[in-house]
Amino acid sequence: MDARNALFSHPDPYDLKGTGKLFIRAMRECCIYHYIHCPEYREILDSMRFDPYEIKKPSDIAALPFLPTVFLKRHRIYSMPQYRMPIKATSSGTGGVYSRIGFDTKGLYCGLKMVLKVFGLRGIVSPQPCNYVILGYKPHKGNHTAIAKTAYGYTLLTPAVSRTFALKFRDGEYKPDLEGVAAAVVRNSRSPFPTRFIGFPAYTWFMLKIMDERGMNVKLPKGSKIMLGGGWKQFYKEQVDKTEMYALAKKVLDIDEENIIESYGAAEHPILYCDCRNHHFHIPVYSRVIIRDVNTLEPLGYGRVGLVNLITPMVYGTPIQSIVTDDLGIMHRADECGCGVRSPYLEIIGRAGFTDVKTCAAGAEEILKAAGGDAK
Amino acid sequence: MILFRGKLYPTEKQNELLGILEKRIDHTLAHGSLDRETVISALDGLAARTALGEFDQLIAQVAPDDVLHYKQAAITAMKRENLELRLSVELPDSIMKNSGTGCLMHSVRPLGTLFHIAAGNAEGLPAMSVLEGLITGNVNILKLPSADSGLTIRILGELIQSAPELADHLYVFDTPSSDIEAMKRMAEMADGIVVWGGETAVKAVRALAPAGVKLIEWGHRLGFAYISGYTDEQAELSALAKHIAETGQLLCSSCQVIYLDTYDKNETDRFAERFLPYLERAADIYLHTDVGAAAQLSVRRYCERLEKAAGLSAQKGRHTYYGRNCSVTVCGDSTPELSGMYANVLVKRLPAEHILPVLRRKKGELQTAGLICTPERRAELTEILLRSGVNRVMKAGDMSAAFTGEAHDGEYPLRRYIRNTDIEF
Repeated sequence: MDARNALFSHPDPYDLKGTGKLFIRAMRECCIYHYIHCPEYREILDSMRFDPYEIKKPSDIAALPFLPTVFLKRHRIYSMPQYRMPIKATSSGTGGVYSRIGFDTKGLYCGLKMVLKVFGLRGIVSPQPCNYVILGYKPHKGNHTAIAKTAYGYTLLTPAVSRTFALKFRDGEYKPDLEGVAAAVVRNSRSPFPTRFIGFPAYTWFMLKIMDERGMNVKLPKGSKIMLGGGWKQFYKEQVDKTEMYALAKKVLDIDEENIIESYGAAEHPILYCDCRNHHFHIPVYSRVIIRDVNTLEPLGYGRVGLVNLITPMVYGTPIQSIVTDDLGIMHRADECGCGVRSPYLEIIGRAGFTDVKTCAAGAEEILKAAGGDAK
Repeated sequence: MILFRGKLYPTEKQNELLGILEKRIDHTLAHGSLDRETVISALDGLAARTALGEFDQLIAQVAPDDVLHYKQAAITAMKRENLELRLSVELPDSIMKNSGTGCLMHSVRPLGTLFHIAAGNAEGLPAMSVLEGLITGNVNILKLPSADSGLTIRILGELIQSAPELADHLYVFDTPSSDIEAMKRMAEMADGIVVWGGETAVKAVRALAPAGVKLIEWGHRLGFAYISGYTDEQAELSALAKHIAETGQLLCSSCQVIYLDTYDKNETDRFAERFLPYLERAADIYLHTDVGAAAQLSVRRYCERLEKAAGLSAQKGRHTYYGRNCSVTVCGDSTPELSGMYANVLVKRLPAEHILPVLRRKKGELQTAGLICTPERRAELTEILLRSGVNRVMKAGDMSAAFTGEAHDGEYPLRRYIRNTDIEF
């Protein structure tokens, strides 16, 4: 069995110590593959004098040149011919520019094993049929975003009785239909089967607010769950205290906090980070995370804010084995959580960017966007 | 928060208040008048209180690292002697005094109502724009920039407290730029729209302005340094580096490009290597305190290096010298342009003989030149820069310094906020 397959078949998804050597071997194999098959990636490693054949210890993984997501958004680079990649997913493109990642068949198979194992631990994979409410995009042939594909994929984890979508494709664009969703929820409350909500936290929050304002409090069947993923995107301002959201979910839908499950991931790093019962994203064996200093890009230890460098040998279609996202995060030691999972966890605290910085052009962009123009 | 006739209202009241605003303004225009002395003494009073430290805490909230600088700038802008100096330069008696020609009497009146759309790139700028409107006797509607820290409403609120008669001349709304309808309503009540911002902002405002309203545009301009020999190389390059790092290259007067008076292709590289340590030292001192911004800049520089390595760079004909939190990019062309900002400067060749034809191509976009040269060439180079369309020629370290009585982008602001009237006897 190759190292990647062995890693993704490891019985305990949070046994980082027990998979240390295997992870390095899988990374070496993956990097060598991309080095041979992706000319642009080879140029990068060569220019930084990095030899993928010499990946032998954790510090070699830290030294491996990483690609920022902004690089992947600007340049489409692949390590396989297009026909060998059955799925190509794009990032959701906050800000209009998106990356396009190709997945190889074996990688997808690894991903499936990962999802079943990680979600299995949280009781999400089950033969119990469910009604699904997707607070995200309804699949459409023009939508290749990873988030739409993932959300739909999640409805396959149990038999689906019904699927309701909050964002529907009408007149050439996606429009939110929160009213329709609220009505479906009331309908589902009379169903013998539990309901599962899947989607963006912001839309979930808006739905709960709307239902609460209208006094639409329902009791959903036992086993109903809310699965949050995809971050807050353009709704950063609306970001609410998680506890406030849990309280409202209990009030409006009668769903307990333990049945609210948040996940973290990215098109450029398709690893499933599922929160524990204390709502922390522990690092699974399939990946490693390095927090990097915002000025020097050097690795930082626990407890310090920096750029989030996500590392995995899962994908052979595109050289995304080490990427840096726009997220800012902190790593915490496993024992700071107390849930019993023996792996450190990642806390996302914000995004890189000039949110607080004021330039002459900033106001202009706002006005222009509002006026329907192009802000570039 | 909305400031309406001296009282604070929550944002939700916006449309209700806009509904009665025209009536209020008409009433003020028909019956009110703003005595210039009232405005000056209210501002001077505020300057004195600022000097005594009354607003130190407030300023510290907005610019914790720069309290003294902002404090001094506020005092300079508001104290009586400076206001009177500005008025005597911008609106001298020769312009303001009623005079007659034949059967005509000429007099100067305020424009009427000014609608200010201020940029958020400099703290205090929105308030400054309104102060200019008040001192020329206008009614002022201000749309706050979204990044406003709350300082503007505090300053203007204090001003009304010390001179209640200003209340009818001052309306501040925190309308978001996306609320085009509300902005159109404000624009319709105005005789002049004062807009601060880049080309895109100006275009957007032109689109919503009714015909016949005077547009007063303070657009985004470019600054650059020009080097032709040195008087004291170390001191001059240190001052230039400090200016670049301190302003983050965010201001219209900030240096984006450093021009060298040379034909020698290698000179730009030699200069970049020599200048980088200066810029590094300055960038260390004025390092970005915001983690998000620092992260974005580091990733951007790193990404440029990857692109270069992978042969995917869009920047053909350029190469970059990277330093700690800064960079110097050597370019083959000589066009003035915006740099990557935040201590990422461009270096280009521009022999003195070519200054005018090259800069003229960007006329109307140039503002400040920081000139470093030998003393004997200063007069000659200053003249050619002015002829090329540059409006300010400064020492390199003072490119963004403000001087009382100076023009702004080649004009005296106060003169744009008044109108000349004629009455036949």
